[in-house]
Amino acid sequence: MTQAPWLAKYPTEVNPKLRDINYPHLPALFREAAEKYADTIAFTQCMPNGMNGSLTYKRIDELSDNFAVYLREVVKLNAGDRVAVQMPNCLSYPIVAFGVMKAGCVLVNTNPLYTATEMIHQFSDSGARALVIIDMFADRLPEVLPKTQIETVVTVKISEFFPKVVGGVIRLVQKVWNRSLPEIKVPHTKLLDALNAGQNHSKRQAVKDYVNDLSADSIATLQYTGGTTGVSKGAMLSHLNLIANTIQMIQMAGSFIRPGKETVITAIPLYHIFAFTVNLLGFFHVGARNIVIPNPRPPSNLKRAFENYKITWVTGVNTLYNALLKERWFLDGPPKHLRASVAGGMALHQSVATNWQEITNTPLVEGFGLTESAPVLTFNPLDGSARLGTIGIPVPSTEIKLVDDSGNEVGLGEAGELLARGPQVMLGYWQNEKESANTIVDGWLKTGDIAEMDQDGFFTIVDRKKDVILVSGFNVYPNEVEERIADVPGVIEVGVVGLPDETLGEKVCAYVVANSPAPSQETILEHCREHLARYKVPKAIVFVDELPKSPIGKILRRELRSLAISEATSTQAKDA
Amino acid sequence: MNLIATLSRAQAQVSEQDVVTPFEEVLLVVMVFVIMFGLGAGLTPRDFRLALRRPWGLIIGWVTQFGIMPLLAYLLIVTFLFQLPKEYALPVAIGAMIMGSVPAGTTSNIFTYFSKGNLALSVIMTTNSTLWAILMTPLVLYFYLGLLSPEGSAAQQIPPRNIIVTLILLLIPVVLGMLLRRISANIGAVLELLGGFFGLFFILFLLSTWVPRNWELLSSTPWQTYLVAIGLGLFGIAIAYALTKAIKLHPMNARTIALETGIQNGPLAIAIVLLNFSGDPTIGLVLIIPALYSLFIVLVSTAVTFYFRRANLAEEQKIPNLL
Repeated sequence: MTQAPWLAKYPTEVNPKLRDINYPHLPALFREAAEKYADTIAFTQCMPNGMNGSLTYKRIDELSDNFAVYLREVVKLNAGDRVAVQMPNCLSYPIVAFGVMKAGCVLVNTNPLYTATEMIHQFSDSGARALVIIDMFADRLPEVLPKTQIETVVTVKISEFFPKVVGGVIRLVQKVWNRSLPEIKVPHTKLLDALNAGQNHSKRQAVKDYVNDLSADSIATLQYTGGTTGVSKGAMLSHLNLIANTIQMIQMAGSFIRPGKETVITAIPLYHIFAFTVNLLGFFHVGARNIVIPNPRPPSNLKRAFENYKITWVTGVNTLYNALLKERWFLDGPPKHLRASVAGGMALHQSVATNWQEITNTPLVEGFGLTESAPVLTFNPLDGSARLGTIGIPVPSTEIKLVDDSGNEVGLGEAGELLARGPQVMLGYWQNEKESANTIVDGWLKTGDIAEMDQDGFFTIVDRKKDVILVSGFNVYPNEVEERIADVPGVIEVGVVGLPDETLGEKVCAYVVANSPAPSQETILEHCREHLARYKVPKAIVFVDELPKSPIGKILRRELRSLAISEATSTQAKDA
Repeated sequence: MNLIATLSRAQAQVSEQDVVTPFEEVLLVVMVFVIMFGLGAGLTPRDFRLALRRPWGLIIGWVTQFGIMPLLAYLLIVTFLFQLPKEYALPVAIGAMIMGSVPAGTTSNIFTYFSKGNLALSVIMTTNSTLWAILMTPLVLYFYLGLLSPEGSAAQQIPPRNIIVTLILLLIPVVLGMLLRRISANIGAVLELLGGFFGLFFILFLLSTWVPRNWELLSSTPWQTYLVAIGLGLFGIAIAYALTKAIKLHPMNARTIALETGIQNGPLAIAIVLLNFSGDPTIGLVLIIPALYSLFIVLVSTAVTFYFRRANLAEEQKIPNLL
């Protein structure tokens, strides 16, 4: 029997059971919001200099309808066909994403910074027939398209739907100043032309029928993941997975989310499952205004957005919060209207959480999830009972258990692999029976994360199973070591990995990005010796300029490790 | 002596023709307004609060702007210009002194951006020195003009009231810009961009109309005048950079303050000359340094920007930034 002590720990206003879902598919959820909040602004895209464009709920609804008609009637796609979408955060994104789903097609979110090789893999694996891509990156297409099944290319401008003059200025700057608009050498349709074609099509009325064949278990998106561990696989997220997770998240936030009144800043990319479910679906569902930021780096790109809009919610990863807390302008004028902030995607450092709460006077709580669970599995209550350093309690109607290597549940306070069951768990991996069967066993999703549970049902991630460092038979969790090193004044970021060692099996190595003057290696080691068991103390501290990171800013330990190993081999070769 | 003959011929020519046509005059004033508009459009009241809370950047900027630049102008005038006959040197010196006493120009923001500097600091310093200029420019100008011609003839030519009025007039677009940005962030951002570029258009305008028409005047201008016009910007940047380096400011801020100090508001200086010397026969000579300065500062700042761009940002980011 699975223990579920967390059931007693939900805030009084939060129902531990997911409320009845009466949306047969995501388009129904979009249409409801569009009717309810018709003339409210749904999305505002804010450029680093404050230039902006906005679209209302009604416009988003109309335009995405047009796009659905274009896909079905002009491009002649069928229900279930895959459409790859590759763009940074911009006003076109919700139109295209909603349009794809309204057409009954499957959305394949793609990172715009992907190289040609990665694009080819993702497009051909998913079998996408159409691609919607930002024009800035379309120069890779001649190389990519012949190796995929893509027949139709639609291009998008970053300044789409901006006021004319402003859009023109941005375009001019892109073209003349940044020279970031390559010539597109493949046949393509501009998004605006596609939308017009959809709008003027004789069968425009048919748009509501496209979803007739959809069921709750139809695939809504293929969300590729696992690029950090090997070949990336497409997690099949159904309409129900995404709707359930949206409602679970909103139910968990309780009265902290006021329908029709929130303004959320979306600095993390929408093509990533975190922002996709939480910001795009969740906040759209509750009638919020989404401030989308095309590029949050450097963090000063967010300055105008924070100045010009009354931001009430922030979603982000540790890296983003950490970066904002190092910006002078942010510290001097923290957002006044903020209600709460959510961190996910990677471990939130306690120092960052505490600092953020001090500066903004609002909670920053951590949640946990993975692409395979659409993504939220656990979340901290916002009512003040959040526990720092934990990932909180399971979201409504989600079961979690911790098991050892032989699959037996571990005792209270013991570490075990986190397994989850709930309506948000994916259908499986796209055309990959073997991986699907390895990952979902008897309905339980194996997360590959090692966690502990306290007596009240709050979970703490100890580490990724694959990242655990084995030092002479002892488990060392990189997270713990990183957290300690991050405490040392002057340390900006740190990544801890295990490197092969002849005597120990593996040895702990820390890669540190530090301020100048940097703390000495000895200072860091001293601090570690004081707070960590001997076998956990790093054998080497290496100062580096930066750490490899994923698009949302997660430190990529795998990559760091292979970098470190290849460097070690090349030095050895030189020495020899 | 040949030189005096050339100079007086040049001066005679200047008095005979319109140095600046009425059309150009209007255009110049409009441009200055647009530039100031753009400056305001980049600001919020919060910026002022922040600046007050961390005043070090502003204090340093204040000292370099109203301490170093006028002194530098004065020293250049005494050392080089005053080698020339007084009847030529004095009106030119008045122009040079005005150039040295005006606040920082908005063009500095563009160059700061490309020099990997601290853009926010640059904007706030420009605004700050523009505000302070209402008081400081007339004060500084009178002090040094008094030194330059003890009999007071130079100071008499520009009543302080006129300069104050000119400067206050120029603050109106700054305030309007701030209001507009409040109403529409888009208009604000476009104006901000335009304002910066108008500074450069202004130079192009000078190059294409004023230079050819005054070619003879420029070709008969002695090297000392050129030296003052170029040196004011170049030495200004160098001194401020050396100073900020010496007190160990963050390299990003050192670059910003250096450019901010050396780049004066050329259009403003020209506007002051036009509004105060209209109809005066010496206006051509008074105008020469502000005009030459405005032309050469673009070249000087571009060269400096190329030098500054070599900075290693990744390395610098590790240094705590206190401004």
